Amino acid sequence: MTTLIIFALLIALMLTGMPISIALGLTVLTFLFFLTQVPIEAVALKLFTGIENFEIMAIPFFILAGNFLTHGGVARRMINFATSMVGHWYGGLGLAGVMACALFAAISGSSPATVIAIGSILLPAMVAQGFPKRFGAGVITTSGALGILIPPSIVMVIYAVATGGSVALGPDGARVTSASVGQLFIAGVIPGLMLATLLGATTVYRAWKFDYPRLPRASWGERWKAFRECIWGLLLIFLVLGGIYRGWFTPTEAAAVSAVYAFIIAVFVYKDMGLKDVPRVLLGSASMSAMILYIITNAVLFSFLMTSEQIPQQLTAWIVDMGVNWWTFLIFVNILLLVAGNVMEASSIVLITAPILFPIAVKLGVHPVHLGILMVVNMEVGMCHPPVGLNLYVASGIAKMGITELTIAVWPWLLTMLMFLVAVTFIPEISLWLPRMLGML
Amino acid sequence: MRFLLRILDRLEETLIATLIGAATVVIFVAVAHRYTTDFVVSYRNLPGAMAAYKFLAGIHLSWAQELCIYMFVWMAKFGAAYGVRTGIHVGVDVLVLQLPPKWRKGTILFGLLCGALFTGIIGTMGANFVMGLSQTDQTSPDLELPSWIVYLCIPLGSYLMCFRFLQVAYSYFRFDDLPHHDHSHVEGIEVDTAVGPTPEGVR
Repeated sequence: MTTLIIFALLIALMLTGMPISIALGLTVLTFLFFLTQVPIEAVALKLFTGIENFEIMAIPFFILAGNFLTHGGVARRMINFATSMVGHWYGGLGLAGVMACALFAAISGSSPATVIAIGSILLPAMVAQGFPKRFGAGVITTSGALGILIPPSIVMVIYAVATGGSVALGPDGARVTSASVGQLFIAGVIPGLMLATLLGATTVYRAWKFDYPRLPRASWGERWKAFRECIWGLLLIFLVLGGIYRGWFTPTEAAAVSAVYAFIIAVFVYKDMGLKDVPRVLLGSASMSAMILYIITNAVLFSFLMTSEQIPQQLTAWIVDMGVNWWTFLIFVNILLLVAGNVMEASSIVLITAPILFPIAVKLGVHPVHLGILMVVNMEVGMCHPPVGLNLYVASGIAKMGITELTIAVWPWLLTMLMFLVAVTFIPEISLWLPRMLGML
Repeated sequence: MRFLLRILDRLEETLIATLIGAATVVIFVAVAHRYTTDFVVSYRNLPGAMAAYKFLAGIHLSWAQELCIYMFVWMAKFGAAYGVRTGIHVGVDVLVLQLPPKWRKGTILFGLLCGALFTGIIGTMGANFVMGLSQTDQTSPDLELPSWIVYLCIPLGSYLMCFRFLQVAYSYFRFDDLPHHDHSHVEGIEVDTAVGPTPEGVR
């Protein structure tokens, strides 16, 4: 009953269009004022201590690093490198776009940032070469989604944070701890590469079928030159992933180091932005981070309320009583997240649903890392279809195409992504193999 | 009045931009310090290594993590207020956009006033909490700052945010003027002037 009241209130408030963070907070306050005896003072403290967690601080750092990189010409050099490597195959610039997105995703933690960085340079070039606009926009919108699957990834940090505090018991009754940011990052590598390959294959097939232009083959000398030019961007991949895997840095430290590194290469090495642009980048990153941190603060309040009302435990018991097995549950999770992806953006969805889904999934024997990767892939799909797919809006801004037209344009790749989602759901080893091989699980 | 408001705006922007920049530098310096110390230790036979080690070991940066967290919490509170002014806070607007204009205006105003109500309540709760803390001599673990100063960002940030919600609600009520952050726009990227890739070999 309480569960119903809480969620009805939350959904009613959200539908008025108020910020999600406010809707979450007001739900908690209303509930605490009228329906329980939890001391209100605990709430004020939670507002501060909720984000007093060093892991969360990776988010502002990754956003800052991403903004320096988007401004900093790293993307252009990565596109040049990708073009020289695969531009002569079917798909030409389109295939190079998929590869460039995958490379950029490995240094940026957000999908829209990837779409902007790669798309704003590549799309005009593709149109100039005679590709239909639809094709280019479809490739970039969907490949840009790799940004949150290939580490680093802001959504993965949010998942780790959202599930970090919850008490979950495995099928045998033993306590299961949630996935760490490092584990999730490493687990994202294989699915990321797989999805990039699949999207690339779709691109090649479509380009072959409609006979789109290809580029002349670049010589090894040219490839080497393009590689040398983008080496500074590529080094960041090894710095972040290698650093976290080898234990040089915690994920948050890695994020801070990559922010400083990105600043140095943007301003001093590539010289694509001047020192006078720095305050603006700082301000933009700060306000974006503050928005996400504010949602997190209120989502922490919300999950505090749910925990004190024992809602995840009740739901778990209920699901287990119904005799649902793990894969039926995961199908349900997929549907829920895809529907939620229609109305909310990724970080809010993960923050609200992960604390509820996590204990149930663990009880049914799903590995926390597997659930995390599954949620991330769902978020990717959500970003690529209307009405709130952020990538779609970003791409429509760049390509100057209407949302409806773009929706039709993305479907071949979206279909590929949905098939990949099914694979990730039913084959846990896609997510778990690499971290297990490296001894991280 | 307008002048004062503009000063407040600038202050807010400068504060959050400085905080994110400073936090990055603090963590970077702490990491760099750790690795240079390790480096000096592993090459301790080189001339001057002892002196360098003594110098580095004299600097204690154990408080860096705590400082970074506090800076970001402050940034989050004031940045959220700035976000209200620039309309960056996302909501579910699928239903609202379907409403007839008159209803839509009412609903949006309701949302904004709810925002003001929530932040107002939190601000007051935070103020009481800080008042209570200032009577004690509780300090933060590493920096040993008085706790009430650290927690001061809750009432200050929340009241500022409440003020921003009221400001936005007023200008929307009077002039139909609603700040809207375009998430699909990124400064510094001019789409039209962006040049295509020209690797050698493209004819």
